[in-house]
Amino acid sequence: MPLLEVRDLTMRFGGLVANDSVSLHVDADEIVGLIGPNGAGKTTLFSCISGTLRATNGQVLLEGQDVVGQTPEEICWRGIARTFQIVRTFREMTVLENVMVGALLRASGTSQARVDAEEVLELTGLAHKRHVLGAGLTIAERKRVELARALATRPKLLMLDEVMAGLNPRERQEAIDLVRTAHARGIAILMVEHVMEVIMPISDRVVVLTNGRKLLEGRPEAVSRNEEVIKAYLGERYRAVIAEPPAC
Amino acid sequence: MTTVDQPSDSTSMPAGPGLDPTALPPERSRGRAASASRLAVGAIAALVLLGLPLVLEAQRLVHPLHILIMICLYATLAQAWNILGGYAGQISLGNAVFFGVGAYTSTLLMTRIGLSPWLGILVGMFVAVLVSLAIGYPCFRLGGHYFAIATIAVGEIVQTLFINWREVGGASGIHLPLLPEAFVNFQFHSSKLPYYYIALAMAAIAFGCAFLVERSRLGYYFRAIKGDPLAARSLGVKITRYKLYAIAISAALTAMAGTLYAQYILVIDPESVLPLSLSVLICLVAVLGGIGSIWGPLLGALVLIPLSEGTRVYLAQSGGGGRAIDLMVYGALIVLVAVFQPGGLVAISRRFRGRG
Repeated sequence: MPLLEVRDLTMRFGGLVANDSVSLHVDADEIVGLIGPNGAGKTTLFSCISGTLRATNGQVLLEGQDVVGQTPEEICWRGIARTFQIVRTFREMTVLENVMVGALLRASGTSQARVDAEEVLELTGLAHKRHVLGAGLTIAERKRVELARALATRPKLLMLDEVMAGLNPRERQEAIDLVRTAHARGIAILMVEHVMEVIMPISDRVVVLTNGRKLLEGRPEAVSRNEEVIKAYLGERYRAVIAEPPAC
Repeated sequence: MTTVDQPSDSTSMPAGPGLDPTALPPERSRGRAASASRLAVGAIAALVLLGLPLVLEAQRLVHPLHILIMICLYATLAQAWNILGGYAGQISLGNAVFFGVGAYTSTLLMTRIGLSPWLGILVGMFVAVLVSLAIGYPCFRLGGHYFAIATIAVGEIVQTLFINWREVGGASGIHLPLLPEAFVNFQFHSSKLPYYYIALAMAAIAFGCAFLVERSRLGYYFRAIKGDPLAARSLGVKITRYKLYAIAISAALTAMAGTLYAQYILVIDPESVLPLSLSVLICLVAVLGGIGSIWGPLLGALVLIPLSEGTRVYLAQSGGGGRAIDLMVYGALIVLVAVFQPGGLVAISRRFRGRG
């Protein structure tokens, strides 16, 4: 049984169909990439899975149980944590406190949460920033806090919405390492990303959305060679990049 | 501020390493010195709070003692508001409802069935919690400013209800019967001192609650809800439940102060315990002092209440009404704080002490 299974999920906003009968799954040890041009419905799909939006039709099965209609807090408790494309750091709380809010989900109290949060801060390389307020962080740091906070809820599945966007190459590499670290701890990952050079080497499988529908899915190399995908989204430039042997 | 800090610092600095020779990380040993100095400041403050009224009493200075009681009362109310509005970010302009519920409940229980106001306080707090949940449950569905507007509407409805409710005295309210001076009766006629100490104890309870909230799961979740409700939810925070906790704590503390007011003034009516202006004043005291910080409400009350009482007395002597003028002064102060120091007086005092 897959960890997450989305079956025929449709999300309508009035006349607009943002997701049209999308199906996908994520296994417990996978990194799945979700790509597609702007407006393809990637973030909407994320919101439907995490409970921020209620899908019009279809099922979202987490370990076989349908979670459609449950609140975001219940879904988080069941083991799905997400980050937001536009970061939502608690600006008036320190980095440590931000992460503690996540850790409190499974901690018995604040002292336990502090210990758990410190551990996540070490893991994510934020320990030296623990007493800095959210408002005083750079974008790269905020994205990192966003990820750390989600990790602190001890999810089974981590959903990352464009955590690489707006980062410079070095920061991006650090973020990739971080995703790999999380994955090495046994957390499945579903990530939306625009930066192809990032998502292709890191993903076990890639799902392509266009106009709210699933265009195809498969291994990264297969997807990036698919003519339809290249036409819809990637462009000629990327074909040249992938033709070379992968960097890792 | 610095003059108070310095002597305590100089006593605690040598004591720190002397008592504990094991090498602490610098951060923690500095924390220990700071907490020792804080302890000294606290001891001085406690001495002043407990002793000053005795001096006033000996000098037969009744009005200053009244002002001190009012400062404690408003510090309690503002702290109760702060837990809901400052920490959890749910701006209430209807806290007078809980104040009125507390005042009316204990008073009615005393006049109708002779229950001691001390038990009446507990019943009043309980009723206020129920009322707050009934208000909070629908109103918390409204985001941001709409919650504040809804609380104004609820406050007005409740006041109108009491004005037209004959059985509880209608618009003319209730005069509490004069009972023999006794602790169990919560009435003291020969001196205001007992009222002062009770008010002080209530303020201490409110501050203790804020202290505990700030350090517990509640405090973290309240601030997360204030910071970004959607992010809080996606981290597993049940925001509706925690907002209800916040309003329940706020209501209970506010109702407690309502009973004190009734027993101190000995007459209550919808115009004195349920008006919108009271809700606004509670909010102003907290905002002026600095919301979301534990000392803000006290600082706000220390500045605003003497100012309010002072202008009222001064203007009454010079033949004016005074009531509206003190509100104008508040208004001007709030504008100044909002423009120059949104963090309130607490932030200003931090700046003078050179802390971030």
